[in-house]
Amino acid sequence: MEMAIRTRGLSKTFGHTRALISLDLAVAPGEVIGYLGPNGAGKTTTLRLLLGLIRATAGRAEIFGTDCQEDPVAVHQRVAYVPGEVNLWPSLTGEETLHLLGRIQGNVDEAYRDELIERFGFDRSKKVRTYSKGNRQKLIVIAGLMSRADLLLLDEPTSGLDPLMERVFRDCVREARERGQTVFLSSHILAEVEAVCDRIAILRAGRLVEIGTLAEMRHLSALQVDATLDGSVPDLSRVPGVSAVQVEGNRLRCRVVGSMEPLVAALAQANVRHLVSTEPSLEELFLAYYGDESGPGADPDGS
Amino acid sequence: MDRENGGGERRPARTVAVTTARRAARPGALWGIVFGATIAASAVSYDSAFPTAASRISLTRIEGNTAFEALFGPIRRMDTVAGYTAYKSGMFLIVLAAIWGLLVATRQLRGEEDAGRWELFLSGRTTRGRAAFDAALGLGVGAMALWVPTFVLTAAAGASSRVGIGSGASAFLASSVAASALMFMAIGILASQLVPTRHDANLLGAAILAGSYLLRMVADADPRLAWIRWLGPIGWIEELRPLTGSRSLAFVPIAALVVACVAISVRLASRRDLGASALRARDSYRSRTFLLRGQAGLTLRLTRPVIVAWAAVLVATGLVFGLVVQAAGNALATSPGIQKVIARLGATSAGAAAYLGFVFVYAAALVAIAVASQISAIRNEEAAGHLDNLLVRPVARWRWLAVRLAVGAGFVLLASVLVGAAAWVGAASQHASLGLGRLLEAGLNVAPPAAFVLGIGALCFGLWPRWAIGVTYGVIVWSFLVEILAALVNSNHWLLDTSPFLHVTPAPAAAPDWRAGAWLVGLGSIAALAGVVSFVRRDLAGP
Repeated sequence: MEMAIRTRGLSKTFGHTRALISLDLAVAPGEVIGYLGPNGAGKTTTLRLLLGLIRATAGRAEIFGTDCQEDPVAVHQRVAYVPGEVNLWPSLTGEETLHLLGRIQGNVDEAYRDELIERFGFDRSKKVRTYSKGNRQKLIVIAGLMSRADLLLLDEPTSGLDPLMERVFRDCVREARERGQTVFLSSHILAEVEAVCDRIAILRAGRLVEIGTLAEMRHLSALQVDATLDGSVPDLSRVPGVSAVQVEGNRLRCRVVGSMEPLVAALAQANVRHLVSTEPSLEELFLAYYGDESGPGADPDGS
Repeated sequence: MDRENGGGERRPARTVAVTTARRAARPGALWGIVFGATIAASAVSYDSAFPTAASRISLTRIEGNTAFEALFGPIRRMDTVAGYTAYKSGMFLIVLAAIWGLLVATRQLRGEEDAGRWELFLSGRTTRGRAAFDAALGLGVGAMALWVPTFVLTAAAGASSRVGIGSGASAFLASSVAASALMFMAIGILASQLVPTRHDANLLGAAILAGSYLLRMVADADPRLAWIRWLGPIGWIEELRPLTGSRSLAFVPIAALVVACVAISVRLASRRDLGASALRARDSYRSRTFLLRGQAGLTLRLTRPVIVAWAAVLVATGLVFGLVVQAAGNALATSPGIQKVIARLGATSAGAAAYLGFVFVYAAALVAIAVASQISAIRNEEAAGHLDNLLVRPVARWRWLAVRLAVGAGFVLLASVLVGAAAWVGAASQHASLGLGRLLEAGLNVAPPAAFVLGIGALCFGLWPRWAIGVTYGVIVWSFLVEILAALVNSNHWLLDTSPFLHVTPAPAAAPDWRAGAWLVGLGSIAALAGVVSFVRRDLAGP
């Protein structure tokens, strides 16, 4: 099957900084994929490589089978991009900007554009330099979504939008999926990714560390178990799969990887009064991947 | 909010002054070196160009000639190094210093505000008015940085017994140049408060500079109108008479202008909202989309104000060249000294044609500077991130740059035709016997060096984008220095070959050398092509 996005060994080095290290990624048409990572993980670098704005140090990237570096124009005909940082021509009005970008992009659904302007409550009569950050972001989001591109590349698209507008944006992404458009959503807003994405890729310090559906990730990661016992908590140090044991009187909190069976067996003698197991939220998964390493190890040139 | 901080920590209010000073001092010192070198080169070359008393006396015959005085300022004591130097480079440096002062001031005030960085300062312990005042202080340090090398290099050259310009006169000259920068810094600070963007502030300041230059031209064209000189900043600098009289009286209006502009700016800054302007801008605009159909239309739309402004400057320049052609030609015919200077450039005609051949070198420099501004627009489009919006859509990189360069090349052609045509209109009104064809040819003759500069700029943009603007203007400044040094060395010296301007003949004083022109255009085109190829293969580069 022809993939919407396929990268093989895609790498980018800026000076001595390795912004992206051998990325292998395949995104099927119609899929909505969340691309997660802390600041500087290499998210924006990946997008700029996919758009051919910067040259890969090694490896290659294809969009719908076309090489991103060799024929960026053919790639751009099937792609719409929404950047997180908006730098538009300050002397043009919102309407002039939309007109210009529409003419250059082609394939604009004018009825949908007008609908988007309505839904985002955007006033297009002002000059770009007078717009607030949120309004500039609305403008660039509308400019990206108004073309019926096969692939939407979104780089932290809701930065600066208020919660109401964020919700409108999520609706738009869902509609895009229903129309069969592929969406690549780079973000660090976990709720946004959790709400709209089929699959999630997690990037750390330039490397892809995990990719899968949220359910798969939860399955692979630890469950949190809270239990209250009648008797004292037995020694759990030798129970397979159990870690991070915290005991407070007759209350227990621990993490379990894999089967619950050994823990349940170990607790059976102590008469369990109350037992709750919780799946980790995306936030907990995210923090588990980065934890203490998201700060200093991150590179400055990434996203 | 500006309370004294008792600890060792630097007071935040001073941060604005220090930051601005740091950003203005470096380019200020760099320009000071260029200015000082220009003055020194001009002073040193006088002796070898006019070694005998007779040749020097012959130069004095153009003193009082209103045609030459209207163009580049009063001519005094041409038989001395000081008088010749003041005339040869004085007005040019005063105008350059004014332009630099204006640009650096609007960049540090309105530019920082446009970019959203000003509010970082204002969120600290300072106020809007205080920050504007501190920025003005910082810019003042920049003007000082311009003064020092200008003085040192002039005094160093002046110490030679053949030159004999004293350190006092050198300091006065450096002060005159720095005063020009300082006044237009103050005007830039005020313009930054009045209008909502840096672009508008630059246009406003440039209009004041052009108007003030025009006033002094009128004043110098007719001795009965000399009082008009006191109506504008450039006239005041002229009244200082650096090197030829050193009269300090004109420092009074200069100081008054600077103080008034800064005081009004501080007041306006503390009253207006951040991001707003004292002259209220409209809230909504009627959209005009007729040009915005693609990248070429966008380029025209964005560069139109700049192109129109340059076209106006070039037409005015050509017109003035033409208007004074008869008077200047007559003066030339009686001054073998100046004839010799022009003959060195390759002139074969005398009289009016020789004069135009001489001044068209300045037109060539203007057209080249106008073209360099296109290179800086191209680079700024990339640095500001505006280009990303086009290149993430189906616009090929090579095509984008090719269109921008084509607009630049079209502009060169338009500019050179306009200069030639305007000079013809001026000359025809004075019944000079110079045909339209001959002056259009002379106009087109200034195009090849500008095309070469455009090509070099494009090459740098492709290879080293962050250096492109500096290198492009550097080529022009270098060429100007070589032009001055030309008097010092043999006419076939390799140094002269490094200036594109010395490869074309001074038409209409000589027949245009189209072969040399074609070489320049050809080399420029190859450089531009290499620039496009490099640009396609490199990463986009931020600021």
